[in-house]
Formats: sequence, C-alpha cells, structure tokens
Amino acid sequence: MKIENQGECLRISEIQELTAVNSAQFREDVSAALPGSPPVIEIDLAQTRFVDSSGLGALFAIYRATAQRNGMILRLLNPRPEVEQLLELTQMRQLFEIMQR
Amino acid sequence: MLTAPPTNSPLLQPARPATLRLAFPPDPASVRAVSGAIRSFLAEHGVPEKELFSYELCIAEASTNAITYAQGRARLLQPVAEALFTPDQIELRVTDHTPGFVLPEKIPQPSPLSDGGRGLFIIQSVMDEIRYLRGTKENILIMRKRRRANQASAAVREGAAASGLTLEESHRQLNESKSDRASLAGELSFRSETLSAIFRCCAELGRSDEVAEGFGKRLLVDLFHLTTADWCVLRLLSADNRSLVVATASELELAFEPLPLPLAGESPHGIEVTVAATKTATRFDLREDSDRTEPLRAIGREATGLVCPLVFGGALVGTIAVGRRGGDFPLGKLQDEVVRVFAEFLAIQTVNLRHHKEEVRQRVFTRELEIAQEIQHLLLPRTLPQLEGFGLAGGWQSAREVGGDFYDALAVGEQSLFLMVADVMGKGVPAALFAATMRGLLRGLAARSDDPAKILHGLNRLLFAELSAVNMFITAQVVHVDLQTRLMTAASAGHCPPLYVPPGHHTVLALSTQGLPIGVLPDTVYHSVTARLGEPCTLLLHTDGLTDTRNATGKQFGQKRLMGWLSANAIAGHTAAALRDRLATELNRFRGNAAMDDDQAFLLLTEAHVGAALATNSRGPKLQFQRGSFLFPANS
Repeated sequence: MKIENQGECLRISEIQELTAVNSAQFREDVSAALPGSPPVIEIDLAQTRFVDSSGLGALFAIYRATAQRNGMILRLLNPRPEVEQLLELTQMRQLFEIMQR
Repeated sequence: MLTAPPTNSPLLQPARPATLRLAFPPDPASVRAVSGAIRSFLAEHGVPEKELFSYELCIAEASTNAITYAQGRARLLQPVAEALFTPDQIELRVTDHTPGFVLPEKIPQPSPLSDGGRGLFIIQSVMDEIRYLRGTKENILIMRKRRRANQASAAVREGAAASGLTLEESHRQLNESKSDRASLAGELSFRSETLSAIFRCCAELGRSDEVAEGFGKRLLVDLFHLTTADWCVLRLLSADNRSLVVATASELELAFEPLPLPLAGESPHGIEVTVAATKTATRFDLREDSDRTEPLRAIGREATGLVCPLVFGGALVGTIAVGRRGGDFPLGKLQDEVVRVFAEFLAIQTVNLRHHKEEVRQRVFTRELEIAQEIQHLLLPRTLPQLEGFGLAGGWQSAREVGGDFYDALAVGEQSLFLMVADVMGKGVPAALFAATMRGLLRGLAARSDDPAKILHGLNRLLFAELSAVNMFITAQVVHVDLQTRLMTAASAGHCPPLYVPPGHHTVLALSTQGLPIGVLPDTVYHSVTARLGEPCTLLLHTDGLTDTRNATGKQFGQKRLMGWLSANAIAGHTAAALRDRLATELNRFRGNAAMDDDQAFLLLTEAHVGAALATNSRGPKLQFQRGSFLFPANS
C-alpha cells in the first residue's frame, strides 16, 4: 500500500486487498495521514481484488473520520465491478464519490 | 477435474460433489488463506471469474465470524471451511465452535452507517439459501447457490435459436421447463438427501453401540438440515417399559427427566406421553397450549414442532420430537415425511441394536459356559486310584453345558480308599469352582482322618461361609473303604445312599446315612455308618441324577430299578469299566428320546477279576467331553 501526499490530494493506492488481515493496519495508516492531509482523499482500488466486511468497515471508518473534517472529499477510484457491487449491496456506495479513471 | 455435464442430462443422474475441506487455525491470516484456497478450488472446477468473488467473500465472512465469536477453550479449536461443488450447486460450509446464534428468516439490511454486522447480510444476499445447524459443541453454517437454472436457460436459448422458434415461445418453454425441473429437482434432491442422511445414520450406528451416541450428532446435522428444526429430543422406552427416557437431545438442557407412561386406565399427560400412548404423530404449538406442566415447555414457551412415535412391529420403541424454539415449524409434506421416515428408521435401528446386544450377552454367557466346562473337565479325576484286586470306574454325564455333579477317589495307603460323589446345587462357573475347592479340601482332610463324618464336618466348616454367601449348597457322600477288611464307612451330607452287596447276599442294599447338605448350617454334625462289602465286591456311589432319570412318559428310573439292575449285573462278574458302560447304556436306554434334565455322576467299585480285568482295565477309553454323552476317565 502506498500513501502519497500529492499536494492537492492524498492518494492511497496499491492496495491488494482489504480484509480482516490488513484492514486495521490500513485504517491506522490512513488515519495517521489525515491531520496534515489536503482536502481531497482518493483511495485507488484498481488493484484491490478482494474486500470483505472488515475492509468495508475500514472504508467506513475513514469515511467517518473525513466527514468530521469540514470540506473534505473522499473518493474511491477504479473499484473492480465485484467491489463496486459489494458497496452497492451494503448501501455504502452512496457514502463515497466513486470514479473510474 | 469435473466438467459440466450436457445440459439435457437426466435429473436422476446424481452428481457427487467435488469437495474441499479445510480446517484452519483461528486467526485472520488463516481465514484469508482458506477463502483464497476455496476460490482457487472453485476456479479449477470452472466457476466463472465473476462468481468467484462472491464465494470467496462468503467463506471469508463466515470464517471470520467463526473465529471472532468463539469463547473460552473453544477459541483453540479449529473451524472448518468446506466447499462442495456440483455443476448444479455450490455449497459452502463453515463449522464453528461458537455458542451459536439464532439465524433469522431474513437478515435485515444493516445501516450503511453501522460499524459492522454486514457479514451475514452479505452472505444472505449473495447465496440462495443459508442454514445454520446448531449443535452442542459445534455449529454449521451452510450456504448454497444453485447453478443449474442458468445452464438450463442457456441450453434452451441455444435450442430455440437452432430450431427457429420465436423468442416468446422459447421464453415460455424455458419458464415451463425451469419450473418443472425446479420442482422435480427439488423433490428429488430432498428425497435423496433424506436417503443419504439415513445411510449416514446407519454408518454411524454401525460404529457405536449406543443409539444416542452415534445417532445424536447425525440427527442434529441431517434432520435439522432437512426440516429446519432447531431442537430435537429422542426418547426411548425404558427397559421396564414404564417410562420414556431421553436418549439424545440437541442441547444439554433438553435432557429432561424420564417421563412415566400412564398405567392401564390412566389417561396420558403431556404431548410425548400421549403420542407414545396413542402411537400417533402429533404436531404441537405451545403458544396455543395453556398447560403449564407440559414437559416440552423446557424448550421454550413458544416452541412448535412435531412428535412422532417410534414403533416397531406394533410395539412402542420411543418418541422423537423436533421443532423450532420460537415461531412456526414450517413442515411441508416432504419434511413431515422425513421425520416419519426417520422415526421408522430409528425404531428399526433401536430394535436391531437391542437384539445385537442380546446376542452379545448370549455369546458372553455361552463363553462362560465353555469356561465352566473346561474347568469341570479338569475337575473329574483323569485317573482313578488302582488298588490290587479291585477295579474302580466313574461315569459322568451332564444335562447342561455345566454340570454340578462330580466324583473323586483317593487312595489312602495301599489298602484303603476314599470315594466321594457330590452334587453342587448351582450352575456355571461358581459351581465348578466349589467342586474344585472341595476336591482339594478332601485331599487335605483325608490325610488327617479316616472318618467320613469328620471329613464332611470339616468340608462344611470350611465351605459354609462361601456357600451361604451365594445361596448354594452341596450334597455329598463320602465313603472310606478298607479293602483288606472289606469294611466301608459312609457319611452323607443330604446325599442319596451308597448301594452295595453285603456278604452272602445276591441283592443290593442301600446303606442308609443321613446328614444336612454342606453349606446349610455352620456346624453340622455328621454320623458315619459302617457296613461290610460282600465278595465279589460291588459298591455304587451315585448322584440323584441316576434315580431321577425320566423317560418320555415321565416315569422315573428310581432307586428300586437301580438296585434291581445292579443286583442283576453285579453277579455277572463284570469289570468296573464294563459295569459302568452297561449302567450308562441302561440309563440312556431308559430315558429314550426324553431330554436329560439332571446331571449324573457315579463311581463303581468292583472286584478285579484275575486276567481279564487287568487286561481290559489297563487303558480306558479316550476322554470324551460332549453334552449328553458319558465321560469316561482313562482309568477304569
């Protein structure tokens, strides 16, 4: 996993999967980067082949953390169809701005 | 690797699932590894990429729950993840060791703003069917996804295209065929599951000899699975036929007290007892039952279910109750049938098992008899003392596998003999052991006294405690013979008198002796009687089995006949062995086809005739030991 401060946005990428194994770590790492973060946060899920409910829980935790900061935008980029379906199924899709690019 | 069969393959062709079963250490990394492995397994069996994510997800969710909610020592146990693949269906199972939970009919959509609780909802949304089978030590979450319909529709579409049917027509056909197939397949799979569940139970029963032990677990898994029940109680009729005793129950708290069955004239109380009394299956709903004393209320005040009697050959064997703790127990016709089939099957198995146990018990009993017989074999002396000028022969025949009759002879010096014939009132190994003890004691006592009365007194004193403890006693006749003076001294412990020919007589007399059997009183006093033997000598000691021999008309051989026979044969000058053979033949001839109902043992002392007697007596017939045949010790 890579976390880059690109000036305008905080970009998190190279996430192989978000599961019970790594979701806690993911959540901690991202939360740690939030204080000095630009207002836009992009989580690139292009490489994310698998997400389970723990992974969803971590995404939700980040959503909540960003929602508490005024003017912050959280985007999920390039989720694979299965992951997007899972977000849809759990009605979490509505929480995020999802973009393919 | 399995490949999908042609889409028009007959429904009756059962597909054996390809199975992957993985027990895993209870940590997240292992869960991840297991869900990945199951994904690969399904991919290998041709499950398309777009479906794999769902199955991987379901296994991951269920396995995570299994490790998250385990408590105490159960945290150390390995959950098991399984995937069963057939072209028609994918079934995923996760076995957990958690306290379990109640799976609702429909899992509500968790709020998108909630922190967790999405796992089960995801599984429910992704799979067609989920069941949660709760057991005492483990639970199984079963998740199913049917796949045949997709393939069937693809085939019909292809077929329609080839035959040029209209789209509407092909859709209609497709739907008809789908629904026909679905219902037929549903019923068939249900029946085959029932059948295989029964086979599994059979296998389980074959491994253990307890209905409860072997069946309990399978019952939970299979019957629950088939009927959606979440509790069950199997009761069997107690050995005294008076109550219904819990043989197995789905949970420990359901292991209720035995239920007494109504006595004649009493009306039954309680659902299970009523079912047992009427041998009629009953559905029940405790929500509509105001009876507060109903034993099934222990399951829950809102329990519903079905109680079936277990009946074999018209006789009650037990009852089986299954149902749900709360809410309706949705028994369709098929499920209803399953419970009844199980009840029928269980009744047969239970009866079989009891027969089997009886057979084992019988085998043990037979073995005990064999052992006793072996012991008794050793009890009868292999050789009898041979004193110059006299012949001694013993005969023995048993009515049963174990006889309580025996004889013994002991030479004291060169000119005198102790003879003993006894009957242990009892059977089996204990009787044989007493006989053995008595022979040993006789040897010890004979060294100290020539007086049969004193010997009987000693035997009684030494054996009384043991005999009275087991309510057994022994009748015995002990005779001391001084061959030089031809004086015999006899004492009896409740035994029939010795028969002999006195000097100058041609007829046999009974030497009247009296005394209580050994083992009746602690300090019985016996009296010896002395008589002189004639020349040639004839003396017969016997048990009452000889005189009590009955023929087919019920007539006894009797003492008079025995004395008459001995008188007639004594003067003929037979050797002891020849006389013994003749007596045995005579007894069997008299008895004819009638069954032997008592043991026989006797000892014969006769004059050894010069020449002929020595030649024939030097070696006796081979030992035989067969039921209903005489045993002839080698020495005669």
